[in-house]
Amino acid sequence: MSTRRSSVAQPIPRVALTWLLIAQALVMVPHLFHLPAWTIALWLVCALWRIQIYRMRAGYPNALAKVVLMAGAAAGVWFSRGSLIGLDAGSVLLISAFVLKLVETRSRRDALVLVFLGFFVVVTGYLFDDSMLLALFTLLSVSALLASLIGLQQSAFAERPWPTLRLAGGMLAQALPLMLLLFVFFPRLGPLWSLPQPAGGAVTGLSDNIEPGDIAELSQSGELAFRASFDGPMPPRSQLYWRALTLERFDGRRWSQSSVAQYPIEPQWQKRGEALRYNVIMQPSSRPWLFALDTGETSLERTRLMSDFRLERYRPVDKSLFYQVTSWPDAVREPEDSPLLQRRALQLPEQGEPRARAWAADLKRRYADPQALVQALLQHFNREPYVYTLKPPPTGVDGIDAFLFDTRRGFCAHYAGAMTFVLRAAGIPARVVAGYQGGEVNPAGNYISVHQFDAHAWVEYWLPERGWVSVDPTFQVAPTRIEQGLEEAVAGERSFLQGSLFSALRYRSIGWMNQLRLSWDNLNYGWQRWVLAYQGEEQANLLQRWFGAFDTRLLLIALVGGGGLILSGVALGLLKPWRRERDPQQRVFLGFERLLARHGLRRARGEGPRAFAERAATALPQQAESIRAFLRVYEAQRYAGRPGAVGELRQALTGLRRRLPWRFTRSTR
Amino acid sequence: MRTKLDACLQMVNGVLLGKEHQVRLAMTCLLARGHLLIEDLPGMGKTTLSHALAKALGLSFQRIQFTSDLLPGDILGTSVFDKDSGQFAFHPGPIFAELVLADEINRATPKSQSALLEAMEEGQVTIEGATRPLPDPFFVIATQNPVTQGGTFALPESQLDRFLMRLSLGYPAKGAEKALLLGEARRDLLPRLEPVFDHAELAKLQELVPQVRASDALVDYVLRLVEATRSQPQFAWGLSPRASLALLAAARAWAFLADREYVIPEDVQAVLPAVVGHRLRERADPSGHGGGALVRWLLTEVAAV
Repeated sequence: MSTRRSSVAQPIPRVALTWLLIAQALVMVPHLFHLPAWTIALWLVCALWRIQIYRMRAGYPNALAKVVLMAGAAAGVWFSRGSLIGLDAGSVLLISAFVLKLVETRSRRDALVLVFLGFFVVVTGYLFDDSMLLALFTLLSVSALLASLIGLQQSAFAERPWPTLRLAGGMLAQALPLMLLLFVFFPRLGPLWSLPQPAGGAVTGLSDNIEPGDIAELSQSGELAFRASFDGPMPPRSQLYWRALTLERFDGRRWSQSSVAQYPIEPQWQKRGEALRYNVIMQPSSRPWLFALDTGETSLERTRLMSDFRLERYRPVDKSLFYQVTSWPDAVREPEDSPLLQRRALQLPEQGEPRARAWAADLKRRYADPQALVQALLQHFNREPYVYTLKPPPTGVDGIDAFLFDTRRGFCAHYAGAMTFVLRAAGIPARVVAGYQGGEVNPAGNYISVHQFDAHAWVEYWLPERGWVSVDPTFQVAPTRIEQGLEEAVAGERSFLQGSLFSALRYRSIGWMNQLRLSWDNLNYGWQRWVLAYQGEEQANLLQRWFGAFDTRLLLIALVGGGGLILSGVALGLLKPWRRERDPQQRVFLGFERLLARHGLRRARGEGPRAFAERAATALPQQAESIRAFLRVYEAQRYAGRPGAVGELRQALTGLRRRLPWRFTRSTR
Repeated sequence: MRTKLDACLQMVNGVLLGKEHQVRLAMTCLLARGHLLIEDLPGMGKTTLSHALAKALGLSFQRIQFTSDLLPGDILGTSVFDKDSGQFAFHPGPIFAELVLADEINRATPKSQSALLEAMEEGQVTIEGATRPLPDPFFVIATQNPVTQGGTFALPESQLDRFLMRLSLGYPAKGAEKALLLGEARRDLLPRLEPVFDHAELAKLQELVPQVRASDALVDYVLRLVEATRSQPQFAWGLSPRASLALLAAARAWAFLADREYVIPEDVQAVLPAVVGHRLRERADPSGHGGGALVRWLLTEVAAV
């Protein structure tokens, strides 16, 4: 037994080791952004150690060293991630194992384990990032992994890295049609279990409560929030108010979402006028609400229109999400009064902001009609010297008073908050709506990209019969913000994306750079729209268009059946049963030939069995005895006419097979 | 018996240096009761080989130098009138020896050639109405010079077919030639050779050869070879059944020499060039010297198993 094991444990060829190191480096690269620094140090140490082992300057780790390393890595994960389970900690643990395995990679078998671990690590990368760049990069790392597999298996390529890489690339290319087929047809199964998603808190975006300064902070971020493309012509950007949520509770400082808004109450509304159809691909926000123009409906499953007309999904959006929306901008929303509505939309703190309250009472006295009051308020913002700025001066207690009467400098949230406060104080139900306004039209792709700096807040007030009416005080102060966007609105103070020097968005004024950025963005949009979004309903639609009636069960049967057919075709082609040798002795001899062919020894057509066996015995001196033993039995049965059961021949072959290391592929030598 | 056979080969190898394969083939030919055609330049050791074989096997040796004026009577012998007895007395020609070396066979006229070839085939000669048996064993080694063809009568295919094998000795390897130059003169060595076998033993050996087993699988291989010569376009004509019999017989003898009681494909392959080379012609060159390329094709392309 021990002799057999030693003959099986084969060393790793130099080329394979090189490829393994390269592949490991490539596999690690996408993970660098979320790995703790010690993992990278560990990797460098392990790679160096393995190289020194190869150069015979260092030994393999002994059992104690292995235990210490493993425990150390586990402890590192525990301290840096606070847990050993969960997606984030689990992936760090997996990568540490992947790194540590390198050091103890002694035989071919270990190297195979390492390569398969590598494939797994590649896949876990998609849990953190699903961009096109990563997908392209994966091709590289998978090629390197394949190359190391080839280097391990094919002694013929042992010293030639380029043919190895070319073969790996060829294999990848051959896998492409199957990949496309699976991409189009394979049903997207829901997750069987779900893990807490990584890095949830780090996503920038709207939150469910805002202080006036929050949105100004958000506007420093050039990150993408979502992209949308319209079925028909795109409405002018001054009408693009993307609602995320409403903020109805005011505690004197912050506006926040009302707890009532979480109740599943069906809102009352009537569709009026023309409908707008568009689809949205939103980036992960780790919030449950979706973005839509007023008043939208979506066919996305497990998503509904909540009582304040926001679209909410059953769970936070933690990977990019594709959905289609139909909106009726002229819809009448909640025309009937209700005590709940009055209570929610008139809530104010008991005290504070005395000047604003007094002003509201004054306005109420002067304008009996709420509509006129709103107009007067807007005109006030328009006429008085209010300034739209990303750098509002800090305010203390009674911030609204300070803003309205002293500083008069603020951002959209200031205006929306102040206006809502005044309307409520004047007895008109009102609320702050948070969302995004406008976006950047990409002419190449006919879609609009909305970034975090497009975040916006505006006001909705309620009138009997007419329901909720949207109004934007910011428009009165800084119409350019609405018509052209934030960059132009704050052009004077050079505060646009001040913190992110390297954001390409900052350099929109440079023509070629902007062109490049838009094209790249368009490419990414295509990736999201046509690749990532191709699931669920999209897939069903496409298949329905192609095949008429669409049925998941039928598709599964077709897939399994088709796969089976392809596999049996391949099996037929490989095994060629019609060419099956009828003579049992000959069949065993063919097995002998196949076995040796896997070790690079092919019998020439005209080569006699003895000549072939002698050649094989010379090439495989360790197995020479078994090869000759097989030949003796074969010749005795085949040529000497000595009676003997085929079983004896088969036994001799099995004996030889046991002595040879296992190989699956045929060598090309 | 086996050791004697090896000793015999060794003895011949001791005289003809560095030509083990050819010596073995010649021995094979003899054991298979075939005749041998050696095709080579003068001075390559053709006569030495024949002489050494004759000596080692204890055979009587005669050499006939073929020339254009050689007559059949010069080979077979003639009846001469004896004045004393008043009768014609038969004087046997050189053919009545156990090993006959027919030197430069292609120099003689077809008439004389056919006299020799008939004797080879029949094992007896008929002279003036009387049939006289030739000695047993009877082994002819004919030689011809492949280069100077002027004034020669090339053996027709039908007569080439009578030779079991055609060999070419070729130049000796450097080491062998050095040993040859440093050693004694070959002609001095020859008389000192002691016969290893007597006639009975040789006959016994020749009887044992056909008992070497040729299995079904092996005969199938021989048939595949023959079939290939008959069906493939590059062959001007296919091998005759006599050729396939010769191939099998030679393979048997080769296996016998290798101390094996069964034939394996390698035996067939070892004798194939010698046995079929002179029986094949390329279609592209039917009058050519033939053989080599076609045999190589047979060896590599016909499935051995």
